[in-house]
Amino acid sequence: MAKTKVITIMSKKIGIFSNILNIIQNIINDKYGFTGLVILAVISGLGILAPYLPIPDYNSIEFPRLMPPSEQHIFGTDYLGRDIISRTIWGARISLSVGIVAAGIASIIGIILGTIAGYYGGLLDNIISRFTDIFLVIPGFFLALTIVAIYGSNLYLIMIIIGLTTWPATARIMRAQVMQVKEFLYVEAAKALGTSNLRILIKYVIPGAIQPAIANTILQIGNAIIIEAGLSYLGLGDPNFPSWGRIIYEGQPYIASAWWITLFPGIFLVLTVLGLSFIGDSLNRMLTPKIKVSTKI
Amino acid sequence: MGLEKYIAERIIQAFFVIIAVIIINFIIVSAAPGDPIQFIAGDIAINSPEFATYLRHKWGLDRPLYERIFTYIFNIFQGDLGYSYRYLQPVSQLILERLPVTLLLMITSNVLAFIIGILLGLYSARKNGSFVDTSITSLNFLFWSTPSFLLGIILMMIFGVNLKIFPVAGLIDVRNPKEGFWLYLDIVYHSVLPIITLTLITMPLYFKVVRDTVIQQSVEEYAYMYRAIGFNESKIYKKVFRNAILPPVTLFAIHIGFAVAGAALIENVFGWPGVGRLLLDAISARDYPIIMGIYLFISITVVLANLIVDILYAYLDPRIRLQKIS
Repeated sequence: MAKTKVITIMSKKIGIFSNILNIIQNIINDKYGFTGLVILAVISGLGILAPYLPIPDYNSIEFPRLMPPSEQHIFGTDYLGRDIISRTIWGARISLSVGIVAAGIASIIGIILGTIAGYYGGLLDNIISRFTDIFLVIPGFFLALTIVAIYGSNLYLIMIIIGLTTWPATARIMRAQVMQVKEFLYVEAAKALGTSNLRILIKYVIPGAIQPAIANTILQIGNAIIIEAGLSYLGLGDPNFPSWGRIIYEGQPYIASAWWITLFPGIFLVLTVLGLSFIGDSLNRMLTPKIKVSTKI
Repeated sequence: MGLEKYIAERIIQAFFVIIAVIIINFIIVSAAPGDPIQFIAGDIAINSPEFATYLRHKWGLDRPLYERIFTYIFNIFQGDLGYSYRYLQPVSQLILERLPVTLLLMITSNVLAFIIGILLGLYSARKNGSFVDTSITSLNFLFWSTPSFLLGIILMMIFGVNLKIFPVAGLIDVRNPKEGFWLYLDIVYHSVLPIITLTLITMPLYFKVVRDTVIQQSVEEYAYMYRAIGFNESKIYKKVFRNAILPPVTLFAIHIGFAVAGAALIENVFGWPGVGRLLLDAISARDYPIIMGIYLFISITVVLANLIVDILYAYLDPRIRLQKIS
């Protein structure tokens, strides 16, 4: 009994949930990480509060067309007379959802495959690693583009396809981490006590190995937002949802006269991805103590 | 023995990746909604079942699935990527015609990004923590976070539309066509903005990995050792640099696919008549053979480029050259 207690305590120390405050504290202390958190908090706050903000309906076409920024329409209106600030704020909801769902799918696949490969090793590892290599080399953007071009522009399909084409990086990172963590004493101890493999994986190995994968997932959210914007820019975005990419695409024919349609959602998009990059990078540096030490010198 | 075995392994692996890419492509086409015969013949196929049966037989669609996969793979290895029914030309020919101008953008910008990124990374790492370093790093983050097409649009608006320093779009000046040397100069002039855009988008990748590696390496034991012996910092820096040059080479391979995607989007911003533009036209016209063909062509190119970089890397990295493959 005493032994199980020790294992529980040790694993708690590296467990993600008890560590989460510590991680946030560290990100706040880092100038890049803090900037990222602030940017992201503002934009996602706007996105979450979109239905309650005093802005017109994003599909309403009752306003004058192609109006430059003014007091009534801070970001102006587009070619159908839709309010750009409203579309941009609703766009935060849509683009961030695309990013989170796609990165979520990618990291679930990556974490499961990476963990299995790293923990069991041998033939299973070989098969999964080859499979990962194949998907790592295939240009994901074009695979997504081809599938969306053939099967139609549906926001949910786009989310799933981006998720299904961006998991290999997470799988590789997870595999390398699991291979290290599984050699730790507390995992050995848990094995010696006869704990089942599944329980060891869920309680000890994954929590100990997951942090770099989480940092990567945060970067993947930004990546997915950029991929969706790229697809939208090529005219493959879902016309029913004003994602930032979609708004930019619709503003493209009017770029010379009505720059505001493109500029404002563009700024929001760049800031969001920048914020995510700052946070992800800050997390990564935290996990690589040597870089962290040297930046303090 | 080690090196040859390594190269052989890589070649076999690349071969299987290409097969996998082709099979994925085949599955996407086969599972696509709609009857392929209708794509080929349109309404005629509905009105005349005999003609549809004839076409089905001609294109081998009445044969079993495994046989079709083999035919498909066999055709692709012969350079047959399909036939565009809009241009009435083989897809491979359409791609090859437009490839040189795309390569001009891609190769120039990637080489520039590689060199500038590494140099800036080295400089920034050396000034670690200073104002200059923070500025360069933040700027790199900013470019990294900007979608290529958006940066292209912004640069085009500033330097093309407002300042009128560079042409807004196109490959050459159509109103005032030139010949010989001046034609090439005109193409270069038109390529400046797209190349700057692509360079700025790609540079942060190399910048970041070099900066992080140098900072990490400069606190390794060997660097301390040199310092203790009394080497001056610039000499230590040379040793550190040698270890920091390998990661960007690996990245170069991994991100070739990424670079192609960037180039394709940028071509559409600047009306550059390359493969990316062909792709956009194919998307808006629903010309599936071209879309599939370009996807296959890019995937296979990326696999081959990766193979070449892997082999080069083996020569560069003594751990692989001296048969200690982890």
